[in-house]
Amino acid sequence: MELRGKVAKKYGDDINTDYIIPAYLLQESWDKQFFADHAFEYYDPSFKTACRTNKESIVVATNNFGCGSSREQAVYAVKYNNVVAVVAQSFPDIFYRNCLNNGLLPIQVEDTSKIGEGDELLIDLDGRSLKNLTKGGQYAIIATDSAIDQMKKGGFMGFVRERLRTRLASAT
Amino acid sequence: MGRKVSAGELIEAMPVDKLYFNEVIGPPAILNFQKDFADVFQSAGKRMKVFDPMRVAFMPDHTVPSCSIMVSSGIKLMANFAKDQGIAMYKEGDGIEHTIASEEGFVLPGEIAVATDSHTCTQGALGSLAFGIGTTEAENLLATGELYSFTAPETIRFKVDGALGYGVYPKDLVLHILGTMGEGGCSKRIAEYSGSTFDSMDMDGRFTVCNLSVEMSARTAIVNPDATTMSYVEAALHGRGASLTPEQTGMIARSDDDAVFSKTVHVDASRVEPTVSLPHSPANARPVSEVNDPINVVFLGSCANARRSDLIVAARILKGRKVHRDTNLVVIPASRKVYNWAMDNGILRTIAESGANIESSNCGPCFGKHMGILAPGDRCLSTSNRNYKGRMGSPEAFIYLGSPATAAATAVEGRIADPRKYLGE
Ligand code: SF4
Repeated sequence: MELRGKVAKKYGDDINTDYIIPAYLLQESWDKQFFADHAFEYYDPSFKTACRTNKESIVVATNNFGCGSSREQAVYAVKYNNVVAVVAQSFPDIFYRNCLNNGLLPIQVEDTSKIGEGDELLIDLDGRSLKNLTKGGQYAIIATDSAIDQMKKGGFMGFVRERLRTRLASAT
Repeated sequence: MGRKVSAGELIEAMPVDKLYFNEVIGPPAILNFQKDFADVFQSAGKRMKVFDPMRVAFMPDHTVPSCSIMVSSGIKLMANFAKDQGIAMYKEGDGIEHTIASEEGFVLPGEIAVATDSHTCTQGALGSLAFGIGTTEAENLLATGELYSFTAPETIRFKVDGALGYGVYPKDLVLHILGTMGEGGCSKRIAEYSGSTFDSMDMDGRFTVCNLSVEMSARTAIVNPDATTMSYVEAALHGRGASLTPEQTGMIARSDDDAVFSKTVHVDASRVEPTVSLPHSPANARPVSEVNDPINVVFLGSCANARRSDLIVAARILKGRKVHRDTNLVVIPASRKVYNWAMDNGILRTIAESGANIESSNCGPCFGKHMGILAPGDRCLSTSNRNYKGRMGSPEAFIYLGSPATAAATAVEGRIADPRKYLGE
């Protein structure tokens, strides 16, 4: 499975989920698009326009992207601005799992220093490689087999429904 | 936790023992649960039912009493669902979820507990494996009680020895540790605390240290249960007419002798000073003695502190003194039980007489939504756990983190102050 996108934004270390979507908005809607409309409102007001310019955008960062609060709204805020993947050198677990659950690809590679805004990237999940089509360069995607599997399926939902079905069938 | 797992092992379906929700993520998780699983229940000819209502609890705490129509609607949605399903629903003002989950004996040693909030790691102080989850995992858990594709994390052992100095508290210790580790320093790993400092630390302190461990991106934190843990848990259970099973009592154990640590960090607690973290990172730690910045808002509250021992020390410093005229002090006991206890023994009176605002138990200014919101240029010293830009209001405000003692001393002086001079030997 392959995916292409253009780097719309590049950030440094420790971008926390409060920066991605401030807390005061979290309870004000149950609609995912609402959070996208307020993405990075305080931290980087240009985020939305930059990402929405492309049909398939990619966000790049260095270490620990998505740290802090467990709010899944941070994933909606990124994803529903036409973002297909976040490429970073590391992710904290909660954010990583929230990404997998929502079909936003969390792509971990050793080094993102040579990737810049405007670069066209190609993600090859089967080959586990990230290619920079603009500047050249290829990076191995660091992920467990199960994470790759979830990235291809867009989450766990099918599996969970199956588990529930089995449980209900065996219950009296 | 039943069976042995080793770091890196992938657990396809991991059953959890306890699950609790706040009113931030609860409503969307319930709505998604109803939307995504209704047809599965229907085709099985069953009524929609969560996996086990006794293992679930709802704790509205972030912005209560409610501050907006949407918040009220969310709480109402939770209350109706709780009633329908037979889930325990706490009241607004009962306290902050991570404080009451342990105080009420809802989470117990050795259990796997998850909640829709990153500070769920607080329960690690009980010797439970506890961590935060997002909305989708929460709806899955409501359906099946299981967490999927869970990779058992590695552990970093923090071996902390020595006595904390006078006026130095577990909060100072953990800010100091964050300072040496950085915001990503414990990423994907469990922080396990042991050593003589922890052996003699009370539960309040252990909760504080575990709480802030997620600020170095720890997957979670844990302190092995000992006699201190068990007497805390027994008292909590006694409050609800329950007691520990022999199996639970028997689980006072060091971490397995053959446990593998990815590394050990030694900390000499006797060298830790009262510590503050400067804006805008919890890992930006400095000794209080090096900082003297003016402060116009002080917040003593949150799931990190504001338990009994925290209010005791704050009251000691505030007794007979006044909050500085340029400073606003907001105090929020972490739970209704703590609040009522502090009222009964005069602590609230002492704090009120100093000129503080005392609010009913909730997250308050820590969540940056409904009270004590910071204006541009404000400088706030908070006993909470996050000082990110914009966390408590304006992104142009400055947040410092410190202990309740430092908070009280700072409220009196109107600038960051070393609490030691108020405590006397
Ligand atoms: S007190 Fe602050 S950190 Fe704790 S649960 Fe509430 S908002 Fe989160």
